[in-house]
Amino acid sequence: MADPRLMDQAFQRLMRSLVESGRALHYAELSKEMGCSVEEGRQLLLAVMQAYPIGWLHPDTDYIASFPPLNSLPTQYRVTVHGEQKWFAQCGFEATSVTWLFPGTSVRVEAPCLDCGERMVVEMRDGSLVTVDPPGIVGHLNYGFGPSRGRPPFL
Amino acid sequence: MNLFRSEEHARRWSQFNPRSEEGFISLPELAGFFGTETRHHMLDANYLSAWFPKRAAERRAFLEQIGKASPFWLGTPSPP
Repeated sequence: MADPRLMDQAFQRLMRSLVESGRALHYAELSKEMGCSVEEGRQLLLAVMQAYPIGWLHPDTDYIASFPPLNSLPTQYRVTVHGEQKWFAQCGFEATSVTWLFPGTSVRVEAPCLDCGERMVVEMRDGSLVTVDPPGIVGHLNYGFGPSRGRPPFL
Repeated sequence: MNLFRSEEHARRWSQFNPRSEEGFISLPELAGFFGTETRHHMLDANYLSAWFPKRAAERRAFLEQIGKASPFWLGTPSPP
């Protein structure tokens, strides 16, 4: 197990890199920011992902695919802040949590409905719903939570 | 864990799980569920060690508060 303080620092750098650029740091970039060797950075990344199992690496790689509430890998949940669309939410549920990464700012999530492909818009500010279009938007959990949940984890 | 234009749209979705009828949640409830206290600290320097470990209990409490205390939502084993 890596030093908890280092893991906290690495977590914060990973999350902030996503907030700032829309993509997660590669472990070689993380290692430079952390002032450690590239291999130490890779091990630190693996330790963080183990401690934060709601995110995941792309299979058979050390590339961060998902670091909720945001995703480095594009999803249908496009997030716009200050008129700029460069973020993606992990899923529809996590989309409602992105607001907490941009305090004091309007966060707009646009996604196509998986049934009809028509657009949905959810705009939030500091946790409050500002715009919901259409008004009847609902969340849906396709498989129950818990160890028996299985894959894919985003349904 | 998706958003749909309405429950009817979700039920028409090609991958809709017929056993997920209890899997609907209103948007205000969802915003509350994913807006509990720990979520306000995701950018804090000690989030991983101090806040993330509290998340599970917090989620459970919120789900119970909105009447979603079933194994499906709580992730607990189903009764035999």
